[in-house]
Amino acid sequence: MTEVSIEQLTKDYGQGPAVDGISVRIAEGEFISLLGPSGCGKTTTLKMIAGFEDATRGAIRFDGRDVVHVPVEKRDIGMVFQNYALFPHMTVERNLAFGLEMRKIPKTEIRDRIAKVLDMVQLTGYAERYPRQLSGGQQQRVALARALVIEPKILLLDEPLANLDAKLREEMRVFIRDLQRRVGITTVYVTHDQAEAMTMSDRVVVMFGGRIAQIGAPSDIYERPANLEVAEFVGQVNIVRGKVVNSIVSTPLGDVPVVGHYADGADITLALRPEAVELLPVTAGVAGVPAKVLSSYYSGSLVDYRLELANGTIVNVQTFPRTRFRDGETVLVHAPADRFWPLGSVA
Amino acid sequence: MSKPFFTVYCLVIYAFLLAPILVVVGASFNAGAFLTFPPQGLSFRWYGVFFNNEVFMRAIRTSLWIAAVTTVISGIIGTMAAIFYVQHSGKLKETVRIAMLAPLLLPEVLTAISLLFFVYSIGVGTQTMVGMIVGHVLITLPFVFINVSASMESYDPAWSMAAQSLGAGRFTRFRRIMLPLIKPGVIGGCLFAFIISFDIFTISFMLKNVGTSTLPIQLFDYLRTNFTPEAAAVSTCSIVLTLVVVVVSEKVLGLRIHRF
Amino acid sequence: MSAVAGKRLGPLLLIAPAAILLTAFLVLPYLNIVLMSFRMPGQGTPYGPGLTLANYGKFFSDIFYIQQVVNTLWIGFVTTFACLVLGYPVAWQLARGTSSLRALGYGLVLSPLLVGIVIRSYGWTILLGNNGLINRTLMGWGLIDGPLPLMYNALGIIIALVHVFLPFMILPIMSAIQGIDPSLEAAARSLGASKLTAFRRITLPLSLPGIQAGCILVFVLSLSAYVTPSLIGGLRVKTMAVTVVDALIDTFQWPFGSAMALVLSVTGAIFVVLFGRLTVMKWKA
Repeated sequence: MTEVSIEQLTKDYGQGPAVDGISVRIAEGEFISLLGPSGCGKTTTLKMIAGFEDATRGAIRFDGRDVVHVPVEKRDIGMVFQNYALFPHMTVERNLAFGLEMRKIPKTEIRDRIAKVLDMVQLTGYAERYPRQLSGGQQQRVALARALVIEPKILLLDEPLANLDAKLREEMRVFIRDLQRRVGITTVYVTHDQAEAMTMSDRVVVMFGGRIAQIGAPSDIYERPANLEVAEFVGQVNIVRGKVVNSIVSTPLGDVPVVGHYADGADITLALRPEAVELLPVTAGVAGVPAKVLSSYYSGSLVDYRLELANGTIVNVQTFPRTRFRDGETVLVHAPADRFWPLGSVA
Repeated sequence: MSKPFFTVYCLVIYAFLLAPILVVVGASFNAGAFLTFPPQGLSFRWYGVFFNNEVFMRAIRTSLWIAAVTTVISGIIGTMAAIFYVQHSGKLKETVRIAMLAPLLLPEVLTAISLLFFVYSIGVGTQTMVGMIVGHVLITLPFVFINVSASMESYDPAWSMAAQSLGAGRFTRFRRIMLPLIKPGVIGGCLFAFIISFDIFTISFMLKNVGTSTLPIQLFDYLRTNFTPEAAAVSTCSIVLTLVVVVVSEKVLGLRIHRF
Repeated sequence: MSAVAGKRLGPLLLIAPAAILLTAFLVLPYLNIVLMSFRMPGQGTPYGPGLTLANYGKFFSDIFYIQQVVNTLWIGFVTTFACLVLGYPVAWQLARGTSSLRALGYGLVLSPLLVGIVIRSYGWTILLGNNGLINRTLMGWGLIDGPLPLMYNALGIIIALVHVFLPFMILPIMSAIQGIDPSLEAAARSLGASKLTAFRRITLPLSLPGIQAGCILVFVLSLSAYVTPSLIGGLRVKTMAVTVVDALIDTFQWPFGSAMALVLSVTGAIFVVLFGRLTVMKWKA
């Protein structure tokens, strides 16, 4: 198992940095995701870790050894590509044997290791198939097996689920996560899909414009986003602005006490996740802010509401569909004060 | 235009395209001493004359030898250039494409003249085959380039990257991954280069070595003064040779040859 | 060498042989022709010392050469036009036709390219000669009394050139038509255009790039053709390319031959550029 440490890593193609001095330490056996919109530098970072791109500045250390000048083929990485990149002229077995042959592993051992890895990805019996004879999910698993069979120091995955249909994608998330836990390999996973990053990773690195916006466990990223950009990229969010007076912010959804160093009179932005808000029918004696239902979207397990407060503020709310409200109906909105998360002062 | 008329029209054009070739093949079986119509009986007489004509046999050997050398050189240079071409984009890519196709777009007669002067001005002259082979390589290069770059279009660069991530060095990546996957294009391009080289006339005519002629030159010289069906027999053998190469490559090796 | 420099150099090594070959044996020799056309004619040698404009003077002061350039251009125009008219329907059928003839047709269009030009021209001498197949047949049927003059004139040269270059017209047009979305024509039909109108207003203009490429290719090839005109035209009708090659090979007039070749090339290039201007396609970026 390998610890990967990235220090001040920078890539500049000549028109400003694509990756701008990022630093991360990835622990042995950790599953880390690089999450961000396209063009944020996540794929470039992965390619630099793999060695396909040269770093303009900075260091990449595998167990303390700087590998920046080590060519890809000597870096001992396992990589899964977006379109799998299975060699079309080779059977599954030949694909899996390729990396082992490069390492001059004896034939008998190659056979044993292929059998073992095929069992691991549940493809025993598919050794003689050609890639085009496999389904998308099967190709995906062969690509994983090919990267793992060489027992690399780290596993790199570049949006590996992007080409699969929705149902298969969810299955593969669980499959890859479980496999990674069993093998215990240090893993870097690139994706633009926040749900993927959240469900699979130990930690998520959120990137914008070549810089790291936040590093943290999925729950940190979701519940305690570092800034507005992160909050909006990771799931839906209501943004509420207000002034701090005596450590209390008055918002259209009620007063929110804020802890921390906020000067009186400072403008502050608060994030409120739609599912943190409760909706109640208008009944005498129940506290809440009245709001009108503009529209609702039913998706089976959940309902999304779009509401308008008396002052015109729009609030998005997600609830279980136990009680349904009709469009145009007036409801009471209750947002617990501890579910607001401050995103720092408004500039 | 009505459909049957249209079909007939196309058939007429196809017949026009094939006519002179069929006529040559037909004439080769003429038993008479001259190309007369109707033929004076069928025979293989002129094939016998041809096979015993040392001048033609030597020309065929020369042509085959030059075509073989040309194919090897053109195949290697053209394949390398095609690999470079598909790995780049933008202005450089377009420049490479135009440069590589230039020998095909420039008039062959002008290229031949320029090479003739050039081999003399650099002191090589036509005593050696150098000028002739250079000319053949120039003319055949675009065909290798077109075929290899066409097969490179369906080559996913991620295959090379995957091989590299698995520990394969530059040479191994080329030999084990890229070459097997672009092989149809390389073989197709080389076969085309061979056929084209075998048929090149103007370049060979201007740059020929004294005493050694290729088959097209020998045939041309012969036709200027002789009218026997021997020339038809020679031509037919040349056509059959080409046909065998094409049929073998398309049917046996299952290749698709790209010309444009 | 550092890893970075190695990565930069690697791809350049791929293109280096082709670049060297094309520079040394195509670019430099072509420039050399220009120089050669200004050299002094030699006595017993291909060229003498010193530079002169006399080669061009000799060319333009002789009506014989001017006439030959005009003849060559005329043959080029007629050949190109005939190839376009004869080839377009075939190209359309190869691109769009549904009949089983398509695969066969493609092979038939390609196959002449695989037969040497000497052999194909030879075939035409057999067909067109005074004792050739065509004249013999027509006389045999009693349709004509004496042989029609099909060889040793411009008509024979054009017939043979059309045959030789027709595939070069058909193939680019075919790929241009293949690149046109058939639903465009369907859309025109749905808007009320007849089949012919849909073709004339949609398919034909969109296939212009192929027509342009084919016409330029055939025109340039016709101007520079040597084998076909010299076998069919014999000594009686000479095109410019034949005169040039003879001047170089038979009489070793290298400077004068170069001047003639350049005049022909520049004239041809002017017409190609003019043609390009006339067929500018504004919808193409």
